Amino acid sequence: MRSESSHGGSDRVDVPSHASLWHSDRFRRLALFLACGIVACGILDPPSPVRADDSSTPAWLRSRMSFRMLPRRDNVEMRRLVQPLTRSVGESVVEVQSGGKQVALGAIVDPAGYVITKWSELSGDPIRVRLADGSLLKSRVASVRRKSDLALLAIEQPPKSLIPIEFIDSVPAIGSFLITAGRGESTKGLGVVSVASRPIEHQGRLGVMLGDGQGGATVLDVMPSSGAKSAGVVLGDRIIAINGQNEVSRSGVMRTLRGFFPGETVHLTIVRDGTTIELEAPIRDYGMMQESENDSRVNGPRSARLSGFEQVIQHDTVLDPQDCGGPVLSTSGDVIGLNIARAGRVVSYVLPSALVQKEIDEMLTEIEGSVLAED
Amino acid sequence: MANANTWQLSPPTRRASSAWVAATRAAMLFLAVALLSPLPVAVADSATAPMRLDDRESRGGATEVAIPSSLRLLYELGGTPTSLDELMELERHIQRVAARLGTCTVNVSIGAAQGCGVIISDSGYILTAAHVAMRPNKSARVTFSDGRVVSATTLGMNREVDAGLIKINAGQNGDAPWPHASLGRSKPLKAGMWSIAAGHPGGFDPDRGVVTRVGRILSVRGDAIVTDCALIGGDSGGPLFDLSGRLIAVHSRIGNDVADNLHVPIDHYDLTWDRLAAGEAWGFLEGFKPILGVQGNTESATARITIVRPGSPAEAAGFREGDVVEQFGDAAITDFPSLRNAVADTMPGERVICWVNRDGKRERVVVEIGRE
Repeated sequence: MRSESSHGGSDRVDVPSHASLWHSDRFRRLALFLACGIVACGILDPPSPVRADDSSTPAWLRSRMSFRMLPRRDNVEMRRLVQPLTRSVGESVVEVQSGGKQVALGAIVDPAGYVITKWSELSGDPIRVRLADGSLLKSRVASVRRKSDLALLAIEQPPKSLIPIEFIDSVPAIGSFLITAGRGESTKGLGVVSVASRPIEHQGRLGVMLGDGQGGATVLDVMPSSGAKSAGVVLGDRIIAINGQNEVSRSGVMRTLRGFFPGETVHLTIVRDGTTIELEAPIRDYGMMQESENDSRVNGPRSARLSGFEQVIQHDTVLDPQDCGGPVLSTSGDVIGLNIARAGRVVSYVLPSALVQKEIDEMLTEIEGSVLAED
Repeated sequence: MANANTWQLSPPTRRASSAWVAATRAAMLFLAVALLSPLPVAVADSATAPMRLDDRESRGGATEVAIPSSLRLLYELGGTPTSLDELMELERHIQRVAARLGTCTVNVSIGAAQGCGVIISDSGYILTAAHVAMRPNKSARVTFSDGRVVSATTLGMNREVDAGLIKINAGQNGDAPWPHASLGRSKPLKAGMWSIAAGHPGGFDPDRGVVTRVGRILSVRGDAIVTDCALIGGDSGGPLFDLSGRLIAVHSRIGNDVADNLHVPIDHYDLTWDRLAAGEAWGFLEGFKPILGVQGNTESATARITIVRPGSPAEAAGFREGDVVEQFGDAAITDFPSLRNAVADTMPGERVICWVNRDGKRERVVVEIGRE
């Protein structure tokens, strides 16, 4: 019987909202059109047939929908074609729920009930995983690798029949098809490798301009759409501690803040008008803070933690942020890595298998160690 | 937005210099707007084109990869592979094409704006989008995927379809030909065919290089090809290839939906080649006519503003009735018609520095061009 030490789990993750503002009639017409697009997306999943004869849909819209949906590279036919591949791993793919809604996919990596998933989306309890057979099982975070944004979940009462997934150390060439497997036999997406494997630096920022303060750092300016702004940091605030650790200088505050990834939250202790207050501020991606309304609209929903990875394969699969964390297959059916972020309209990132396997091995070893220590 | 450089905690290391930000502003107006209403077909059937672009300027090309006989139907008719084996064969072929796209796909920066282009001839002609090239006879900086930078000059632009032409300035490559794309035709294209897009989304990134995307043609119109090869700001002017690696279109604009990506069909460059190569600029894309929002007397000897339209870009910029416009960007303004011509040469979203004479004093006014 294993028991788990609980690591981390206290940081909360703030998912930026992407409120869309429709200023013009043109955009309003588009909004209508997009809503229809969503309906049409629903019919992409096999085995539902395309409802071309749906009489409740006006003819002009039906023709528009079929023009848009039928030849798409990730259409029904393509999904059907790759179904044998997704079926081969479907038993090992789970949906991960946090706070009552699906936040990620994950993969079973050990028959004792361990699941690998994307860490930064696990913002609230309870954490549950839904298996291929539909059962929903209570789980907890057993170990975390913050740098790779990975968490190992332990299913509290694992069934006997769990089938672990096998990661294959292989990096497909640019132009190779990648298939994002979902739970059971579903396919969550299909795209191609866009860029050779490379590291991605992060641009996590609190979003303040700082000057020297007596024992800490004084806020000289707060960036619009920054985490500092949304947390209520104002001009003149003096930051004296971060996550409970005292800071005595501007350079110290800056150094500490640089250590946080986008999607993480910092606890700030601030002196304002002689009173000490405590604030929770999300760290956000600097590029996202700067972007225009147009940019953020066309980029669509993205992962909060979308940068700061040792190695990623960039691909063009259109993914919902909550479909990250699960396995990605090559056309030969090999699991070549784990989707780790939706980073923009043209960008999704896979953590390659070699990196994922290394992290899993370390986390399992660490858990074994803690079990021995408790014995 | 605050000046990026004043944020000490936030150095603009992701090439998020003010130039990059300005570039996306200029490009995004194009790339961020969905054109849902069908546009009028602006040109005649390309079969009547008198001369071929490649007859004159292009020999061979480095991107074409022969289609294996087993993929011929998929190439000619489009569609989904019928087996996993065929999918893998398609994949191997796409890998071979993708490996050849990097050398002729270039980043183009003109002033503060960044886009892409594709070299199509030994002599260094570069196809791009009209809104990337902006105006004839501007100097452009062309960056290859390996980081090499050369200088170029903008030639003509057909703004009716967003087609632009640039040429690399002579004498920068010894006698060697420039690496260039193999040319295709857009006339035979059909919905369902596979296509491969290349470009520098978000601007040039030396650690990343060219970004490849693969999708299918969703519709073919006279003025644009729609694909699900996802594009974003910075891709404008980049190449779209068919499965054989031949250039079929140039990236232009996008809608909010990730499957709304519009490209200029390559035959348009062929049809109007002589005008483009001669540095002529004409027309505007429906919905993208540049607007300043002032009125004046076309007969008078100066460009004196008589009316500043309420809610116009001119009003937002601080133009006043009675101002005499003397300089509009690079253009010296002598009378109202010359101001009108100068406005027609801008792109919606572009920021233009103007000088006006106001009560005998010279004043600087910066306007962001609007669109009709």
